[in-house]
Amino acid sequence: MSQRRPRTRTLRSALTLILAGALLSAVAAAGALAQGGKSSLIGKLEGPEVVTDSGKWPKAFKEAPQLAELVKAGKLPPVAERIGQDPLVIKPLKEVGKYGGVWRAGFTGPADFWNGFRCCSGPDHLMFWDYTGDKVMPNLAKGLEMQDGGRTWLLSLRRGMKWSDGKPFTADDFVFWFEDIYRNKDLVPTPSAAMAINGKQGTIEKADTYTVRYKFPEPYFMLPDVLAGSTDLAGQWNGYKGMGGFAPAHYLKQFHPKYVSAADLDKRVKDLKFDSWVRLFLNRNDWAINPDLPVLSPWKTATPINTATWTLERNPYSVFVDTAGNQLPYLDRVVLTLAENLEVLNLRAIAGEYDYASRHVDLGKLPVFLENQQKGNYKVYLDPGDYCDLIIKFNLNYDADPEIGKWFNTADFRRALSLGIDRDQINETFWLGTGTPGSVVPVDSNKYNPGPQYRKLWSTLDLKKANEMLDKIGLAKKDAEGYRLRADGKGRLRIEIMTLGGQFVQYTQISEMIREQWKKIGIDLKVQEVERSLALQRTANNEQQLAAWNNDGSEHLFTFPLHVFPYELAAVASSGPHYVRWFHSAGAQGKEPEPRMKELMEKWKKAFGVPEKERIQLGKEVWRIAAEEVYIIGVVGQGPAAMGVRVVKNGMGNIPARMYNSPDGKTPGISRPATFFWKN
Amino acid sequence: MLAYIGRRALLAVFTVWAISVLAFAIIQLPPGDYVTSYIAQMASTGSVVSEEEAETLRIQYGLGQPMYVQYLKWTGQVVQGNFGMSMEWRRPVGEVIGERLWLTVVVSVAALILTWGLALPIGIYSAVRQYSVGDYVATFIGFIGLAVPNFLLALVLLYLGFVFFNANIGGLFSPELQDAPWSAARVWDLMKHLPIPALILGLAGTAQQIRIMRANLLDELRKPYVVTARSKGLAEARVILKYPVRVALNPFASTIGYTLPYIVSGSIIVSLVLGLPTVGPLLLKALIAQDMFLAGTIVLLLGLMTVIGTLISDILLVWIDPRIRLEET
Repeated sequence: MSQRRPRTRTLRSALTLILAGALLSAVAAAGALAQGGKSSLIGKLEGPEVVTDSGKWPKAFKEAPQLAELVKAGKLPPVAERIGQDPLVIKPLKEVGKYGGVWRAGFTGPADFWNGFRCCSGPDHLMFWDYTGDKVMPNLAKGLEMQDGGRTWLLSLRRGMKWSDGKPFTADDFVFWFEDIYRNKDLVPTPSAAMAINGKQGTIEKADTYTVRYKFPEPYFMLPDVLAGSTDLAGQWNGYKGMGGFAPAHYLKQFHPKYVSAADLDKRVKDLKFDSWVRLFLNRNDWAINPDLPVLSPWKTATPINTATWTLERNPYSVFVDTAGNQLPYLDRVVLTLAENLEVLNLRAIAGEYDYASRHVDLGKLPVFLENQQKGNYKVYLDPGDYCDLIIKFNLNYDADPEIGKWFNTADFRRALSLGIDRDQINETFWLGTGTPGSVVPVDSNKYNPGPQYRKLWSTLDLKKANEMLDKIGLAKKDAEGYRLRADGKGRLRIEIMTLGGQFVQYTQISEMIREQWKKIGIDLKVQEVERSLALQRTANNEQQLAAWNNDGSEHLFTFPLHVFPYELAAVASSGPHYVRWFHSAGAQGKEPEPRMKELMEKWKKAFGVPEKERIQLGKEVWRIAAEEVYIIGVVGQGPAAMGVRVVKNGMGNIPARMYNSPDGKTPGISRPATFFWKN
Repeated sequence: MLAYIGRRALLAVFTVWAISVLAFAIIQLPPGDYVTSYIAQMASTGSVVSEEEAETLRIQYGLGQPMYVQYLKWTGQVVQGNFGMSMEWRRPVGEVIGERLWLTVVVSVAALILTWGLALPIGIYSAVRQYSVGDYVATFIGFIGLAVPNFLLALVLLYLGFVFFNANIGGLFSPELQDAPWSAARVWDLMKHLPIPALILGLAGTAQQIRIMRANLLDELRKPYVVTARSKGLAEARVILKYPVRVALNPFASTIGYTLPYIVSGSIIVSLVLGLPTVGPLLLKALIAQDMFLAGTIVLLLGLMTVIGTLISDILLVWIDPRIRLEET
């Protein structure tokens, strides 16, 4: 009994302390950065490249010493046989490395599986982005050829390529995935949008051993991007949900009712304590959970993610090689240790206990990281993203209070609110000046960026104009404290913003600052931090008014659209759930959007069925409408807040000065960690 | 006596059942379910869960079924010793808790031994030498120990350890021995990591127990039977230890009911700060992720511990204090 009371007090004081700490560190950080300057921390974008010209491929192969031993002992076939005739040749960023060593880092638990996918899966996409994140290159597949005006695609595989258990990787693995996993209603109850064009599903078939044919009822020009991006068709990391585009047929058949008797399978399910074959199957097809699963990635899981240490070890059959013919990866093992909380993880990174860390590294602690660079024997790099780190979404479908819903649907109201934000103050306080203030459009160099003038459109501080616009639309009357009154005579116009705590970006604290700034345009904002499940429930039930989030991923407009227009129901920040339903049901459900939004959606959809040049044009138009209509307010972007603070031990080679930071690029996957190595 | 214990045991079974119902209900109270918290978790690390995938997950985990069906399914399994599958860890709950449970016991028992080992002698000393310099010093340090939040102490010690000793940050093992099989070296490694968590966990409790011991003993020391014993010429140490201390121990025995669950769940915040692989952080995470079977099992375990602890302290009290025995019969 005596334990109970002090506990609550402890918790509260813990929170106060954390808040005070955050504030202090922000102030300190600003000072430290002013000295060091952000320019020295942000380098030139660079990275390794895939060599596609088979004339330049190495003719002979070398392997890690441990594997050479196994070959000598007769336990493993020779390296050339393991790699096959068509290696995936990667030109390392700076130099050909050498074998050996461990990469130590941290992870936060079984839900942190993206951690391992990003670092160690290769990435095992069939196609993948070059280091600029812009161009689609062959990856596990040797090539992708378009036929029949985009309705048919021929994917050629690498001859002699093998799974990590030595069995051949062929077109049969695609057919097995498509017929027995994807089309099995128990494993995959709802088909994936990635396999469809304009809502019509495509098919996958075997052309010959090393050629796969994708067929679609309508032209699907976007397929290369879909295979490259973080979609359902992009690699084995999707296996836990029955996706991936291919799967090791020879291994998984033993868990599939089509290939084994019901009695045998039942017994297996019971023995392994699962409640259904579906759960067993998906568990066995999980890259992070099952060490026995044959994979194609350079490293494979050795001890699973649901233990205290997630260890990955080299795949002896890895098809990745460097330009000198060394089979990749260079590093023997990747060891991720469980950190019970982010503070411990950050402190371990500061202490130099990690060799390379960027995920979960806190921008607010940047000064401490810089201070301990020498002691921890590491170097700090910043990798700003190409997107907006803080956006504010208006729920265009909000109807619990019709007056507020009406204003959210008034373009000038949204624009005025955007003009009322002092982005420079926010950038200095929370991004330590490393961000770029502006609208929602992606970085200027992005191929879908509509033009430099859209960065500032409705996105500069202009109180006079904002006040004029609000007066003009019918919100001229104010109360004694200077806040604008509702048009329906029911008192002050009060709107609410929903935020989440404990994220990469300090949404709540920034929203508090915006609340102060909006006082000057007579807008009364209430900041409401909610628990994350409640956030999802509110967006799904159409109860959210405004919500703060980031639009990471939107730099890849067509593979990651949910922060551009209402696309996803399950979101922590929504622009309108009824529009989502309307969009996905082709107008049968939900609510028809206003003309400009409809135009935006149609352009986005149309882009999937047209050649790239036309698509880029449509992409620019999508962003143009988004910036003009301000459905979403962009605040500060292109900062390193999300996984952009990188702490790398001195002595690790082939580390880029700056890398493309994006979920679609599986950063650092886009910099090919298989080429990282220890210099001595 | 046997009837007494039997009656208590029967009540205990009923209590545990009530706890299981409550545990399950409370876990379901917050909005959403495991799938919604999973989606939110994915969203905050930059990936997306589609509506279709969410629906699939709900079907697979049986989350769409009414609550009583889920409860009956779960208890049906629990009775057979199968605590279900942890949704987040994707492993049987028994396994997930098992490996952490006994590390928790090690840490907490160490803390408990430290608490009692320090509190009893100091408490006796401060009572016997009331208002002496030693009493004031012990009282002062005790109050500081009580006032400083132990997570803060943990943070400070972590930082000092890093700055001055280059110690490993958090955890109970050195990284190289984390997954090693049990060996003398690993046990030694554990022993080396144990003092700091034990100290931090034990300190606040120590202060509390010192005060309780001191107050109780002071009450007793003034009673006529002590004077009688002394006047009969008993040695001072024997006078104090044989009678008043034994009586003053009463509160220690009666708090065992709370101490047992504390051993398992106690110190959630400290364990989080220190990164200890114990049950506390697991419970917190399970509650946040709404991993029903895992959270439910831990809460059930805690309930069970409280019930058993109370039972033990009832029996223990009867044993130490003859007066209670008399009242019962």
